[in-house]
Amino acid sequence: MRLELGKIKITDIQFGETTKVENETLYVNKQELIDIAMQDDRLENVNIELARPGDSTRITPVKDVIEPRVKVEGSGVMFPGMVGNKVKTVGTGRTHALVGSTVITCGKIVGFQEGVIDMSGPIAKYCPFSETYNVVVVVTPKEGLETHIYEAVAREAGLKIAAAVGEAGRNVKPDEVVVYETKPLLEQINEYPDLPKIGYIHMLQSQGLLHDTYYYGVDAKEIVPTFMYPTEIMDGAITSGNCVAPCDKVTTFHHLNNPVIEDLYKRHGKDLNFVGVILTNENVFLADKERSSDMVGKFVEYLGLDGVLITEEGYGNPDTDLMMNCKKATDAGAKVVLITDEFPGRDGKSQSLADAKPEADALVSCGQGNIILNFPPMDKVIGMLDYIESQIGGYEGSLKPDGSIEGELQLVIASTIANGYNKLAARTY
Amino acid sequence: MKGENMDKLIITNNNFVYDKYSKEIETKYLNEQTFLQVLECVRDKIHQRHKLLTHPLSGSVKPNETPFKSIIISQKVQTMDFDGLYLIENSIASTKKFLNNRPTPHCSEKIANDFRLIDLSLIENAIKKMYCL
Repeated sequence: MRLELGKIKITDIQFGETTKVENETLYVNKQELIDIAMQDDRLENVNIELARPGDSTRITPVKDVIEPRVKVEGSGVMFPGMVGNKVKTVGTGRTHALVGSTVITCGKIVGFQEGVIDMSGPIAKYCPFSETYNVVVVVTPKEGLETHIYEAVAREAGLKIAAAVGEAGRNVKPDEVVVYETKPLLEQINEYPDLPKIGYIHMLQSQGLLHDTYYYGVDAKEIVPTFMYPTEIMDGAITSGNCVAPCDKVTTFHHLNNPVIEDLYKRHGKDLNFVGVILTNENVFLADKERSSDMVGKFVEYLGLDGVLITEEGYGNPDTDLMMNCKKATDAGAKVVLITDEFPGRDGKSQSLADAKPEADALVSCGQGNIILNFPPMDKVIGMLDYIESQIGGYEGSLKPDGSIEGELQLVIASTIANGYNKLAARTY
Repeated sequence: MKGENMDKLIITNNNFVYDKYSKEIETKYLNEQTFLQVLECVRDKIHQRHKLLTHPLSGSVKPNETPFKSIIISQKVQTMDFDGLYLIENSIASTKKFLNNRPTPHCSEKIANDFRLIDLSLIENAIKKMYCL
């Protein structure tokens, strides 16, 4: 598969009469976007707000973050299986991305969910979306809407709006076009026969309500491990339905911009041969873990991989999948490096993960979520602060009368995200 | 009455799980006991040769954040489930680490119901998969 990704730089965002991109500014028609979301009659109300870097604005509780993209050439549509009832395979042709902008969904689904994005101040440095121009979609469901349905409605509204905003980039000349290509396996191996064959084992959160991910619209709990071209992910083949633990949730934005895939492509043909992605899940049932990790090991052996990188999403339950995948990939003959964040207690001295295996001897850390931070008050809140103290990383007494917050780094969206799209790391001395 | 799931046992302190499944699957309801006490009960059961079937730390909500936990184990088996024992002991250590950081906060009934709902959803999805065994 060969994908040209046209990057259209966005350096400002404004409301306008039509949704368009002009001179690096993204204009959005507010009513048009509200109408797209309100096609779903299960919603009571939708509001659209804009948040720019440097604004004294706090966005919470954040559900998903999505980069607006559009398929310009090639089969399929953005977010197949989720938008427009189309499931054709994506990942070829040309896609345009409005780089520097996002669509963020925001709203109360359960009382302890999701976290915070500060657009300025000392907390902004922990969050990648403090530096982007954000279209924030605040959704309010009809009274009494069942939680699972509300989650689905909010998720779909975000994807539909992101697809609509992405359309603004269809006929715009990109500032940069990056070409990503992975060939069919035998051809790819023959292209660089002397370079080590490297794969990426991509673990998807798949446990239940607010802990789900979708692959071409299929609930990841229901998949068995499969193999995919990395470029499919850049076209939205994987979308997030995960809402708990703000710091290390993988939003749809992070799937589209997966840094492991990005970096493997940078070295593809230079010092490694990036042959593809093994996709797997993180189920609750231990028999599922056994089955999925066996199949991951089988893929590693069948593909003849020399090395793999593995990322997980979440803490606890997924740590067991991570270790099982690590062991079985090692047994299948590959060298394994794990990428994850850590929860070693506030003093950093406890075990970082809830499971371990002797084979797990190479790990890249994306930081730890337990440190305490002070969030100063902001002039504007998009969403609501009502749930701060019960959000993950908040606690009784977190919210001060002046609107400032004392809380753990866990509260900040994507601050320790376990695929490395963040600014924290750990080093040994 | 217990049908095809007669070989399973749910250990829970979540009344949503008890109300939904106790007629279908044998359920040990640890009313008003803590998350840690549920894990310790499961550990004791594994020592009595039950097999662990679901992950003790299911869910991304950390063990010092939610008061509720439901775990499925088998009815008695012949051999000791050492993998399960390792997992439950690690989970207990991990829970104590988080509780040492900060005890589980007291939450309103509305928030508690959200925690119950998430715990129910996690175990529901595991139960749906039981036909695979």
